[in-house]
Amino acid sequence: MTNILDDYALISPLRHRNNWLKLAIVLFGLLVGVSSTSPVPPLFIALCMSFTTIALGRAPLKIYLKLLLAPLGFAVVGILIIAFFSGSGQELLSFKLMGYPLSVRKDGLELALLVLARSISGMCCLYFLALTTPMIELFAVLKASRLPEAFIELSMLIYRYIFVFLDMALSIRYAQTVRLGYSSFRRSLHSLSMLGSTLFVRSWEQGDKLFLAMNSRCYDGKMALFEVHRPVGAPELLLTSAYFFLTLALLYLTKNASIV
Amino acid sequence: MTYYVYLIFNGDPVHIMEGFLPAIWCIVWFAISIPVIALGIYKLNKLVKEKREILPLLAVAGAFIFVLSSLKLPSVNGSCSHPTGTGIGAIMFGPAITAVLSTIVLIYQALFLAHGGLTTLGANVFSMGIVGPVLSYLIYKAGMKAKLNFYFVVFLATTLGDWATYIVTSTELALAFPAGDVLSFAGFLSSFSKFVAIFAITQVPLAIVEGAVSALLFKYVIEVKSDILVEMHVLEDSVVRKIRGLSA
Repeated sequence: MTNILDDYALISPLRHRNNWLKLAIVLFGLLVGVSSTSPVPPLFIALCMSFTTIALGRAPLKIYLKLLLAPLGFAVVGILIIAFFSGSGQELLSFKLMGYPLSVRKDGLELALLVLARSISGMCCLYFLALTTPMIELFAVLKASRLPEAFIELSMLIYRYIFVFLDMALSIRYAQTVRLGYSSFRRSLHSLSMLGSTLFVRSWEQGDKLFLAMNSRCYDGKMALFEVHRPVGAPELLLTSAYFFLTLALLYLTKNASIV
Repeated sequence: MTYYVYLIFNGDPVHIMEGFLPAIWCIVWFAISIPVIALGIYKLNKLVKEKREILPLLAVAGAFIFVLSSLKLPSVNGSCSHPTGTGIGAIMFGPAITAVLSTIVLIYQALFLAHGGLTTLGANVFSMGIVGPVLSYLIYKAGMKAKLNFYFVVFLATTLGDWATYIVTSTELALAFPAGDVLSFAGFLSSFSKFVAIFAITQVPLAIVEGAVSALLFKYVIEVKSDILVEMHVLEDSVVRKIRGLSA
């Protein structure tokens, strides 16, 4: 699961586009998404982002839908429950305990739809970034930003070691499962703690080795990164500005609209 | 109601999802979190300048927290849940460093696993990277000073830290979605009690399990390589000897 997203980003054709432009698009989508008061602009953003990710970014449709469906499944459950609640009256007293204020059900439904739309659009924006921009490209952006050096170095090293330790954790877990380490609750507790402690000891040793290896290669607290210069093309610029303009227009038009 | 259902089925109610908080609350939580992170980075910079070997160690520590938090905990009531891992981080590395590490870890979780999000990062950092670890650290320090059993202190620190995290998350959600139209104290309280009650179903047992796992984790580390903990000033040499049953 973890390296899959980054793997798709590495082979995506949008990888070779300007990183700043992509980041701007994502941040714009996120900000408009959370500040909109109607579900329409977020849904529009979600649609545009999904289209870009699949059609232009060549993310496999099946994987993309699966990724989206994970949280969307819960959304549908939520909507169904709301519909069920607004249909029935006061007699469902036990459900009131669960926290549904029956008196404001129109507001509640509207708010629910809005939060749902915002979440979907947020997910689409994040997936757009995750599926078209490998982390390595983002590091170049981070370097160019004025964030503290140590923070960026730390992020890069953490990124590298996440995958090393994930592999380690998975193989330990596999070995434990084969030996029935997760056959009961008690055993699972012990197995998981053993896994964690081994991981900790090994990561500590790895840290020592890493310091030695980097020091012997003259590491001075800065890793040089090569940033490819990628000018923004006219079609991209045009498309992006059209998208921004349309979204802002929608945001303005639906400012006071209510759909329920 | 949606947000309750949403978060429960997500199995991961500690991370507030992308797009869940309205813009104003995103800003508020960022404004609260950023100074703390800045302080952490300042401390980090100083530490790295003094001892250069600390950076690789912190990096593996961050990766350790990430991997730990992506492991599935043994389930008590059928919900799928992950440890936060920040309690252990706070005990081992102190709260300031843990705040920086968990910020990086949360960004990666948002980008790789779609756990949490970028606009809700400030809120998540505040609950998982600041309040939880600080409380865990304080409890750990106080417990060790009171000469309580080490494993019990670790258990207590992790469990209470997790509960603090979940209570802060509930507060954040209740402030953003209070009962009634405008934010009032009564509306906040009514909404807060609902969030807390519903999260309790998964979070109360989960925190206890994580506490137990953390205590056992330390037990195994002490059995295998106790000198690391001494070196990191987590434990005093005499305490380790006492735990292992050796004469001082």
